[in-house]
Amino acid sequence: MEKSIERCLSETCSMDGVIGSVLADQQGLCLGVKGKASISSSGVITAIADQVAKLEPASKNPIIVLENDTNQCLIQRADRATVAIFKTSNPVN
Amino acid sequence: MGCCWGSCKEDSASQGGDTNERTHLLVDPVSNNTPAQRANSDDFISRYPNSIPKKTDEQSALSRILQETATNVIDVAALDSHNLEQHEYKERSKQYQQRLLMQGSSQRWHLSAPSLLIDIPMPEKVLAAPPLSYADMDMISLLVQNANFALEELKVEHREDLVVPFRIP
Repeated sequence: MEKSIERCLSETCSMDGVIGSVLADQQGLCLGVKGKASISSSGVITAIADQVAKLEPASKNPIIVLENDTNQCLIQRADRATVAIFKTSNPVN
Repeated sequence: MGCCWGSCKEDSASQGGDTNERTHLLVDPVSNNTPAQRANSDDFISRYPNSIPKKTDEQSALSRILQETATNVIDVAALDSHNLEQHEYKERSKQYQQRLLMQGSSQRWHLSAPSLLIDIPMPEKVLAAPPLSYADMDMISLLVQNANFALEELKVEHREDLVVPFRIP
């Protein structure tokens, strides 16, 4: 049954520019990692998503972008899962 | 009651002039001497004219007190405004900077770990950067939806009995 989760992560990692992806549950437990990403980052990612979601509780789940000169980290959460995608910054940016 | 009676007796004894063990050897100096001094103050001035401080003496004494006070008081504001000229400020700042440089090599603040929060040279460039592209937003939204859907479907398939009876004979 966890193959669908792995398939989601694999499909995402196969996209252009994506380095790695992390999937965590509501409590921050790491449910899956693909590519160049750390298992231990799942708790921090979930915490960030939870805190940012408190800024505007009425709106839907926000997309958080952490970036440096070369890479981006996109975080979004849903009811049961929190997902982070690590990717290279677009050359346009 | 006994105290009241004792004091009354004492007063009557002292007023009567009889000396016993309760009469004061030293009479009250305030009640006895003050009217006498007041009455005799004019006589005292006329009798000892040299010992009385005259007005000039008073002024000189006042000025002496003022001088002593002035020598004892350290006026910080006056010191700053008088003594420090502009070039002295510069000299002192140079001196302090040299001493800081001498001390700086050994006691400079060292960060234990490199901080992630570092000033960037041109913040307006970063702030003016275009926001997240729609493709990236779609990508992560799709991944979140799929992962959420996959987690909802996640079920535990148990193939063995959860409770295992021990075969105790």
